[in-house]
Amino acid sequence: MSADASFFQWVAFIWEQNWPLFLRGAGNTILIALTGTIIGFLIGIVIGIIRTIPVDHNTSLLKRIILKIADVLLLCYIEVFRGTPMMVQAMVIFYGIAMIYGIHLNPIPAGIVIVSINTGAYMAEIVRGGILSIDKGQFEAAHAIGMTHAQTMSSIILPQAIRNILPATSNEFVINIKDTCVLSVISISELFFNSKSAAGANFRYFETFLITCIIYLIMTFTITRILRWFEKKLDGPSVYTIHGSQTVPEAEIRIVDGGKLHV
Amino acid sequence: MRKTWRLLLSAIMVIGLLVTAVGCGTSGQPGGDNAQQGDTSKAEVFKVGMECGYAPFNWTQLDDSNGAVPIQGTKEFAGGYDVEIAKLIAQGLGRELVIVKTAWDGLVPAVQSGTIDAIIAGMSPTAERKKTIDFTDNYYKSDLVMVVKKGSPYENATSIQDFAGAKITAQLNTFHYTVIDQIKDVKKQQAMEDFPAMRVALESGIIDGYVSERPEGVSASAANSNFVMVEFAKGQGFEASDDDVAIAVGMKKGNADLEKINEILAGISEQQRLELMDKAIANQPTAE
Repeated sequence: MSADASFFQWVAFIWEQNWPLFLRGAGNTILIALTGTIIGFLIGIVIGIIRTIPVDHNTSLLKRIILKIADVLLLCYIEVFRGTPMMVQAMVIFYGIAMIYGIHLNPIPAGIVIVSINTGAYMAEIVRGGILSIDKGQFEAAHAIGMTHAQTMSSIILPQAIRNILPATSNEFVINIKDTCVLSVISISELFFNSKSAAGANFRYFETFLITCIIYLIMTFTITRILRWFEKKLDGPSVYTIHGSQTVPEAEIRIVDGGKLHV
Repeated sequence: MRKTWRLLLSAIMVIGLLVTAVGCGTSGQPGGDNAQQGDTSKAEVFKVGMECGYAPFNWTQLDDSNGAVPIQGTKEFAGGYDVEIAKLIAQGLGRELVIVKTAWDGLVPAVQSGTIDAIIAGMSPTAERKKTIDFTDNYYKSDLVMVVKKGSPYENATSIQDFAGAKITAQLNTFHYTVIDQIKDVKKQQAMEDFPAMRVALESGIIDGYVSERPEGVSASAANSNFVMVEFAKGQGFEASDDDVAIAVGMKKGNADLEKINEILAGISEQQRLELMDKAIANQPTAE
């Protein structure tokens, strides 16, 4: 490669030379971000459900105390993991456990755990917001027909709440794809760290990082499109028919174009 | 009421399950890694941490040419002067060399926590670092240079005082950054995280130059024709103590292998070191 080659010739050349390095790094990034976000999402849902268990004058003292303790503990978890940088968490957890207990974790699973609990803290609040966004009347109606909190959540509230929090989840996903780059401090060869290695050898930074940018953009764009498609799917078709009565089949309401009534 | 309890219990169980599932992933997956940890206690592997991005001391490459060593947990290989020294040390200790690629900021906590046995990453044994980790004797000694952009007015500087008014920086947490104060009227910039960041800053004109060591300067100017290394004659350059310009192996305080490694390092002659460095500079995977 001659020294006076053009910028894009360099980009092509660097890709040709280092593509396995970039792709393996991207693979690690997507693996950690994907598993971390999914586990974090589940943690968020569990915490969200626990933190919205209703307490009223019929609630027993014991249950009140347990709920209060759980609430305080979960709040601590949320505040600590939401309020400290992920890089610091990674250092403290990974090297701290090794130092105190002598347990040497494998970097990638450790990275997944760190991203999961970090995302879980954010998702807990997002899920809580999603649950609170559902009209209180629906809780009351569910309780009035004798449903438990778990039943209310699983059959009525969560299906609506999860639809509502999907855009925020997609945000978390994108943030996780980008933020996994701080995990290089615990020896994870993710995309940014590998790019730095490539650039560290060829000393062509803009060219190398342009490739990195494009790969990150492809990953985040794909993820957001998939989640957008999923949102659309959850919304259901915009054209459907409500059958008014089984005995009078002609009594039906046709919904066309997302809810504008055409009887 | 019982139903609420059941719900609480199941929620706790779900959390427990998640934790154990993840825990299993942590302890179950790295079968090979666990074996290696077992080996560490039996002292059969010698785990060395480096950035693998600081040519010619250490770099990442895709094959095992020129005696490169596999990087743990990846399909890449590490090469460079540090790797050659690490190989000699591992050989002398009679242990198998394992290279752990870790970002600069993670190296000291990694060695303190026993995740790696030694840092061989072009690290200088500064007084500050000696407070937290131990260092062996030097395995390389270099001169301080300045890397500037080709065609800049500082290209032909002969003394560090020629950089008066220039925007100069160096790597964060290194003595390179402190010696900048020896230049009168210099516009000292914020320290940067690593060499990649400084090279980007230099190429884009945010800084006029950065303080570096000779091998890095030689590599940078050889690999990217936009960079020029400025060397200084004796008395015209930066004043730095031996501890600062030298490079040594960092180890956890009280590590019993330190003496042994010093013996091994003493057996590597000055001539051999120069040859290894020349070989590393020649072998580094530049695009040229």
